[in-house]
Amino acid sequence: MPRKEKTNIVIAESSPVLAAGFAQCLRRIPGLQANILEVRTSADLRECVKSAKPDILLVNPTFGGIFNPEGWKDDNFSPETKIVAIELGKLNPATAALFDEVISVIDDMDTISRRITNLCTVDGSAEEKDSLTLREKEIISLVVRGLTNQEIADKLFISIHTVITHRRNIARKLEIHSPTGLTIYAIVNKIVDISDIKI
Amino acid sequence: MTSVSHTSRYLPSDKMAALISDHYQLIQVMSRFGIPLGFGDKSVEQTCRENSVDCETFLTVVNFVLDGFANYEAAPEVSIESLLHYLRQSHIYFLEYFLPAIRRKLLEGMPLRTDDVSFLIIKFFDEYMREVRTHMEYEEKTVFTYVRSLIEGEERSDYKVSTYSDHHDQVGSKLKELKNLIIKYCPESTDSNMLNDALYDIFRCEEELESHCHVEDCLLVPAIVRLEKNSRSAS
Repeated sequence: MPRKEKTNIVIAESSPVLAAGFAQCLRRIPGLQANILEVRTSADLRECVKSAKPDILLVNPTFGGIFNPEGWKDDNFSPETKIVAIELGKLNPATAALFDEVISVIDDMDTISRRITNLCTVDGSAEEKDSLTLREKEIISLVVRGLTNQEIADKLFISIHTVITHRRNIARKLEIHSPTGLTIYAIVNKIVDISDIKI
Repeated sequence: MTSVSHTSRYLPSDKMAALISDHYQLIQVMSRFGIPLGFGDKSVEQTCRENSVDCETFLTVVNFVLDGFANYEAAPEVSIESLLHYLRQSHIYFLEYFLPAIRRKLLEGMPLRTDDVSFLIIKFFDEYMREVRTHMEYEEKTVFTYVRSLIEGEERSDYKVSTYSDHHDQVGSKLKELKNLIIKYCPESTDSNMLNDALYDIFRCEEELESHCHVEDCLLVPAIVRLEKNSRSAS
């Protein structure tokens, strides 16, 4: 599955004051690039998940009567959606347990930020990001000199599959997918000299 | 009456000028429908009528752009011809105006040199523009033509709209890459205001392209599916 550019967040809350407040808080979370949609009714919620599956659904447990997270995931073929309860008073623990997370209206910004960020983190990718291995740098320098995958494989005595795996990891770590982008990265980070590049 | 979205919906009786003052991003929508500025205190309905624009379609797009989702079932009156016209104008805007304007700003803010990466950034931009052009031309040649033939009642079995809209993700992620390349690796600029301006435009372009693709996926595609159904049941 391609990596998501933005996090889709839907806020299902009939009170416009609460919904706008949560939307504002979510926009302040550093590093979170989110598309935020607010819906007021169950009919709107159904309509809006048709166009884009939310990564996170922030929902009042009383939305549309009583909101059932498990049933919702099944009905919308959306098991990956994280469902977060909006807590107004104290939520009964049995209800809270049905949700992936709970955010209270009295939570401070750091708590909200931490809880939402935890839901968005993809397994362990955060730490390994940005740190290229020596082998990966070597491969970048050959790619930007214009060598094909086969030529790189022959030169480094590895299989072409290994080259492709390295290239995939490089693209993921740097978030650069094009040869031109890679060349810019390599020059700025002095992996190659600009005079080595054929234009 | 229950409010259906974070903006209350606009109605035919609202003043056109109020729409634009409330949400300046609607200037683009208005202009792509071919409505010029200078409408005084006229209502949306009246302004649309005077400019031969389908009011229902205009408001559907307006409310959609503001809400981010559409209750299409509740808006079956959308005119596909109007929608196609709007999307075509939107393509012209990106290809003939917005992207070339960003390129000019980049070149002014970061003049081409062979001893730094500026020429590579422009090369990347040109590759990106070519991709957008190919994608939009594909839509106009293949998809829009297909829709026109459906409207005219021709039977077409060579294409289905379900094959559409996979391309949108690629166009979006390439622009994100360009943005990051400039933010992270841009060489020293000769005119930083101009370069910032270019970057600011790229952010805006990203948002506008997203919104444009969203209109295609959420308003045009369902309209075509409906048309396909009708054409099958008629034959």
